[in-house]
Amino acid sequence: MALSACGSSGTSDSVITLNSAACGGTWELSGPGWHTFQLRNANTVAAEVDLVDPGTGGIYAEVNDLGPGTTAPMSLDVGSGSYAFRCLFDEQDPLTGPTVTVAGHAAGAAAVVPITYNDLIGPAKEDEAYVEQGLETLAGQVATLKGDVLRGDLAAARRDWLTAHLTYERLGSAYNAFGNFDDEIDERADALGLSNPRWTGFYRIEYGLWHGQGARELRPYAVLLASDVAALLRSWPQTQISLVDLGRRAHEILENALEYQLTGHDDYGSNTTIDTTLANIAGTRELLTVLRPLLAPRYPGLPAVYADLGRLQSLLEPVLGAAIPALPARTRQAIDASCDQAVEDLAPIASITEPRNT
Amino acid sequence: MTDRRAFLRGLAAGAVGGLGGVAASAAAGYRLRSPRAGPAAGENAAIADGALPSVPFHGRVQAGILPAPARATAVASFDVTADTVSDLRDLFQTVTDRARFLTTGGTPPAVGINGPPSDSGILGPTVVPDGLTVTFGVGASLFDDRYGLAPMKPAGLTAMRPFPNDDLDPVQCDGDLILQLSAGTADAVVHALRDITRHTRGGMQINWRIDGFSSPPRPAGTVPRNLMGFMDGISNPPATESDGLLWVRSPSWAAGGSYLVVRLIRMFVEFWDRVDITEQEQMIGRRRASGYPLDADGIYATPDYAADPMGDAIPLDAHMRLANPRTPQTAGSRILRRAWNYDRGTDEAGNLDQGLIFTCYQRNIQLQFEAVQTRLINEPLTDYISPFGGGYFLALPGVRTASDWYGRALLS
Repeated sequence: MALSACGSSGTSDSVITLNSAACGGTWELSGPGWHTFQLRNANTVAAEVDLVDPGTGGIYAEVNDLGPGTTAPMSLDVGSGSYAFRCLFDEQDPLTGPTVTVAGHAAGAAAVVPITYNDLIGPAKEDEAYVEQGLETLAGQVATLKGDVLRGDLAAARRDWLTAHLTYERLGSAYNAFGNFDDEIDERADALGLSNPRWTGFYRIEYGLWHGQGARELRPYAVLLASDVAALLRSWPQTQISLVDLGRRAHEILENALEYQLTGHDDYGSNTTIDTTLANIAGTRELLTVLRPLLAPRYPGLPAVYADLGRLQSLLEPVLGAAIPALPARTRQAIDASCDQAVEDLAPIASITEPRNT
Repeated sequence: MTDRRAFLRGLAAGAVGGLGGVAASAAAGYRLRSPRAGPAAGENAAIADGALPSVPFHGRVQAGILPAPARATAVASFDVTADTVSDLRDLFQTVTDRARFLTTGGTPPAVGINGPPSDSGILGPTVVPDGLTVTFGVGASLFDDRYGLAPMKPAGLTAMRPFPNDDLDPVQCDGDLILQLSAGTADAVVHALRDITRHTRGGMQINWRIDGFSSPPRPAGTVPRNLMGFMDGISNPPATESDGLLWVRSPSWAAGGSYLVVRLIRMFVEFWDRVDITEQEQMIGRRRASGYPLDADGIYATPDYAADPMGDAIPLDAHMRLANPRTPQTAGSRILRRAWNYDRGTDEAGNLDQGLIFTCYQRNIQLQFEAVQTRLINEPLTDYISPFGGGYFLALPGVRTASDWYGRALLS
């Protein structure tokens, strides 16, 4: 057990001074165990400071955004290995200080080889292509929905609304990954109110289709949705996917589902929030697929993530079409617990895939 | 190793991570505070500054049962969502590991670039125990067909029975598990709740919960008051009677445990405040200001019911007199009362939602709590209170050593 081993470890609290001439200067480690370094930025510009293994470039610990003249702590469990501070001052070449080696076979924090912007370009391109293909499919599906509404065939519209909405939800848009388009296409009524004509998009149409509103009333919203999706598709090739967001979305998509779908909040009448959550799982899986080459060697929790998603999926599939409040309490608890565990296990992916300068 | 602890894989991985594999323990990487007593140099002095000392976690019985109510508490009922009995075992081991760390205090592991911080940070970079106690128990529903525990169920552990004046809301009753966290301050309690739920995401879900507080004795040297203004829990059995009244002996896996009854009791405080002081004191049986029994001078004075057979001094239906008539026949029904006040917003009519988190410990719910509560049916106080939630549980035996865990004898 780890308890006895770590209860007696040594501690140290040493000041490391960083400037444009020296990243840490001469420093030493008293041995393995818990260490806290007070990092003082004596330069005139902000810095990122990493404690690295100079042999592999792996990072043990980092402090970002260390302002000039400020001090911040860096704590870690030091094991046997090589350690050096690396300073990345704004507008300057990286500077690596002297290496300190801890001998022996003591276990400590692992150095993880960081992911660079370059590493993320391939996955980002794959994700862009996935979204583009999805948007093309979606454009056809919202055109069908528009046709249904214009024809006055609301039964067909209800069916085709779901098809199109799930396609959108599979794209893994979370927290404005699609910028303002997400507001037009998938906005909730929360801020505007159910009767506000400025409330548009999938949920507005869902509300009308499942609350007895007629084709005439829904026509402008169906037309607008089709044109908004078309505009998103047209603008997509020029859209720059944020490389930082790629890994963050791994948990954000299901954080959104937990907040809005599994609470029933986003059920505007169709009882399809479970379908939506399944579509969100598909969107999450797509991100994991493109990130997998980077994650597999770095994240031992990755198999658990897949197990979590599988467990959640297997709990949701039997209750498709149920309104969340109508689910038996035990069923709902099991679903919530699975989703909670999934986002917990997905969360480290954001930190691990955060692009770092090396 | 990698299949164990399904509910904490992510955290363990995030915390220890790296290329070498996952440390499959909820204790991994957490530096426990040195076990030596009292503040020492450096780090330990900082920990003790403004905070209560650590309450030793290991023992024959759980450490949170006997002490007087701490200032802040949270009571949470959970339902287990673990898939198998092996996952259930992992869940109990995880709760044990977290409780051991949280009650001891120490430093959460640094995660480097492998994940979000391992701790919520609510208590700062070093987790202070602040007198935290964790009391963990099981409810009757855990012994259904899910985990094969039905043959182990103690006969006396049932769902909470409604009494005639109760208004029980099923959503706020019972549960597979009960967890009570008590500490010197509310932030230590909230921190512990956040930590334990984070490490058990897939394994259990909160069923209902309520936060409470215990007031300082006013005036000093007396007994904390409830929100009716009366001192609450003056008369409790002395520690010397714990073996006879509190600790369960059978079934053997439960030895050293104690049955815990939780009753969430709304008080209609606006109504109460409109009641004449004489009527208030007759309903309780004590002076509001001093806490003295109506027939004696002194908080801890024993009321002499034999000398007052008609209830001239203390009415025959006073709460105190019905609850504990102090006769040889009723001595065995005494319970260890531990009550906290709650205060949580308003009801639909704009009245304050305030009341009591009544808890009590005993060897036998039917012969003790239910016997007491049966005597209290239709007491005059019922007009001013409404029990709406809670449950019957068995607080598990204590965790004895660093390798022991909650419920080991039940689940091994």
